[in-house]
Amino acid sequence: MTRLVLASLGVIALWPAASAQTPAILDHDPLARLEAALTADPDNLRAGNDYRIAIVRAAQYDRALAFFAALVAGHPGAANAHMNYAFAYVDKIPAAGAITRVILANNALNEFSRALELRPTWLGYYARGNSYLFWPRIFNRTRLGIADLEEAMRVQRADQKHAYHVRTFIALGDGYWKVSEVVKAKAMWREGLKEFPGNAPLRARLAATGKQLAAIIGETYDPERRVDTNLDELWTK
Amino acid sequence: MTRAWPPAALLLAAVMTAAGVATPGGGSIRFVEVGANAGARVRHHTRVFKGEHGDVLGMFTSGGSAVAVGDYDNDGLDDLFVTDSDEGTSCHLLHNDGRFHFTDVTARAGVGGGNDGRSIVADAIWFDYDNDGWRDLLVARFGTPILYRNNGDGTFTDVTSRSGLDAFANTIAAIAFDYDNDGRLDLLFGNYFKPVNLFDLRDPHVLPTNLDNAANGGGVTLWRNLGDGRFEDVTAKAGLSGHTGWTLDVGHADLNNDGFQDVYVASDYGTDRLFINNGDGTFRDVTERAIGFDTKKGMNVDVADYDNDGWLDVYVTNITDEYMRECNMLWHNNGDGTFTDVARETGTCETLWGWAAKFGDFDNDRWPDLFVANGLRSAGPENYIPIVLEMIVRPGVDFSDVSSWPAIGNRTWSGYQRKKLFRNVGGHAFREVGAAAGVDNDRDGRGVGLADFDNDGRLDWFQTNANQPSLLYRNVTAGAGHWIELTLIGTKSNRDAIGARVTVETATGKLIREVNGGNGYASQSSLRVHVGLGRDTVVRSVRIRWPSGIVDTVAAPIDRMTTVREGEGR
Repeated sequence: MTRLVLASLGVIALWPAASAQTPAILDHDPLARLEAALTADPDNLRAGNDYRIAIVRAAQYDRALAFFAALVAGHPGAANAHMNYAFAYVDKIPAAGAITRVILANNALNEFSRALELRPTWLGYYARGNSYLFWPRIFNRTRLGIADLEEAMRVQRADQKHAYHVRTFIALGDGYWKVSEVVKAKAMWREGLKEFPGNAPLRARLAATGKQLAAIIGETYDPERRVDTNLDELWTK
Repeated sequence: MTRAWPPAALLLAAVMTAAGVATPGGGSIRFVEVGANAGARVRHHTRVFKGEHGDVLGMFTSGGSAVAVGDYDNDGLDDLFVTDSDEGTSCHLLHNDGRFHFTDVTARAGVGGGNDGRSIVADAIWFDYDNDGWRDLLVARFGTPILYRNNGDGTFTDVTSRSGLDAFANTIAAIAFDYDNDGRLDLLFGNYFKPVNLFDLRDPHVLPTNLDNAANGGGVTLWRNLGDGRFEDVTAKAGLSGHTGWTLDVGHADLNNDGFQDVYVASDYGTDRLFINNGDGTFRDVTERAIGFDTKKGMNVDVADYDNDGWLDVYVTNITDEYMRECNMLWHNNGDGTFTDVARETGTCETLWGWAAKFGDFDNDRWPDLFVANGLRSAGPENYIPIVLEMIVRPGVDFSDVSSWPAIGNRTWSGYQRKKLFRNVGGHAFREVGAAAGVDNDRDGRGVGLADFDNDGRLDWFQTNANQPSLLYRNVTAGAGHWIELTLIGTKSNRDAIGARVTVETATGKLIREVNGGNGYASQSSLRVHVGLGRDTVVRSVRIRWPSGIVDTVAAPIDRMTTVREGEGR
């Protein structure tokens, strides 16, 4: 557990990233500049995050996927490169057709898993667990998501409190709700609200019942909507 | 392309929704299934393929259950031609005897054939290709089509060999319309696979290369009627050969109100296409500007002015199951060359695995309602989806290779789905009333042919089902509104008047309808124009713009059928 906690903190310690010295030619291509920075420091989560944000703005999803594929091939032990690779797959999902989405989501899961094998972190468990919740029930992946999110919860309970930890309360409650364990879901959301008073998504879930609650959760895990994979929250004090 | 919804319209829709689903006379939409008693229960059989790829090929060709509605003997009653698809099985011509009784006259008519060892019957349409006043029959196949000439005495003659319709294609959809307004009905075929012989696969790479953006399908074929009994392939000349997708349905209508018929192509595994008629025998592809490219699984094209704004709109079914929530598309015609998808806003987004969908004013309240058939394969308790998922996510898998796909066996795939009937609530929203109306059967629906089979002014329908018996729904809606029905006869235009635009004016406003030659997946509805009038008791005018350009204004008494000949109006 100590190792996990340290790893969770270590995510933040990986910053600062890219060195300022880049060839002049890269000035004309901001994405190439970010790629150069990441190539120099493949395990830098924040540099990868910055790159992905730029990619999403430019809608150059395939460029990012090709870049990360090469990056992890060259640095197979860079856990955060795999993590960003996974998020790059997630980033492309809203721009893809229904079946391609399934392939992208599955590829993302594979990369999250590889990152977790290399370095178990809160982020890894939370991200993979949350991803499983997007899968339709017919694929029986919700229980896998719950297991990951319970692990993320164990990690964060042993850690100092961070604002982003509220996400686990929301997602784990949603997971319980999805497998019809409504009492456990509500207890999780209530506990989260106690820890993070005023949190709007938790309040909304606790205030809703029946179809209204189903609509909230349905909207949260709607594959048509873009999932915000910007990790800046990790570095917010 | 976002559409600003007027608040007043939303308010109206909300009020009307809250008010319920009452018909003009205070009743509710209601149907009774009468197929067995009516002598119109026909079981379809999907083609069984032999060999190692048989199971997968059968899965990919599980359509073929079609219906064509048409009055082939000019007795004033719409008859039925119902297809079958397995080798050696017969299609069926059901003569409408009146009072909801049908007689199978296939043998005498000589139109049962088509399912041989090299061909699968997939669709059919009635159209009077030689303008002799007797509707002929086109049977579309995975193979070459069959054209039967109506002899006018209850029998038909196979005239395919001299028609020039000799090109092999895996045709799954066919419509008849006069694309060049020369007074002769042309044919547009929608082809699913490339023109490969599925019974003798030399190369197993015949399936879609990509499940969201495939362009290795059969596209479309446009056959121009030369007027001497022959047809000529003018696909390339007309500008339609650029579409190489997996066409599942084709539809036509005058979408820009210029007097020429435009074409909407619904494609599986990739983008639909919209072609606007240039009026000179060619079309231009306006997909990108008009509707945008999509990755959905288009299954159906039907057209109606659902909001009575004077512009025809388009409805396309897709796959909206939990595992593939694509949402259907209700393309609202903005009147400026663009369309906005309002399926979600109007409540017509989700119908599961959709097939034919047909607009029809089932309660005669002036607003076109919508019935949607759905359901792919109802079989054993095991589900095919988790199995096919393993294949889909396998790295480097070649989707086009038949060998890549797992056998389905007796597994169910999107089966046992309840049909949807959407009642149009004031042109801004639809309310699903399938169960209350008695039409929420769970068969594996395919085609839906609408007609007023008993000439009582209420639209009925015949539903075909893949590998299952058909259903015939009689409309028994109480308190339905007033109506008119028009049988149009072209003289300078094509005799069937396909493409004629009818504008009906009453005290409440104007309504437009168009005669179509087979819009909707695997089904042709009646060529007769049905118009619900609501509580209006007087028709001020009926204006008919014929494909020839002639405009007639005629009178039409309410609650009656009227026959109009081109050029006989004011």
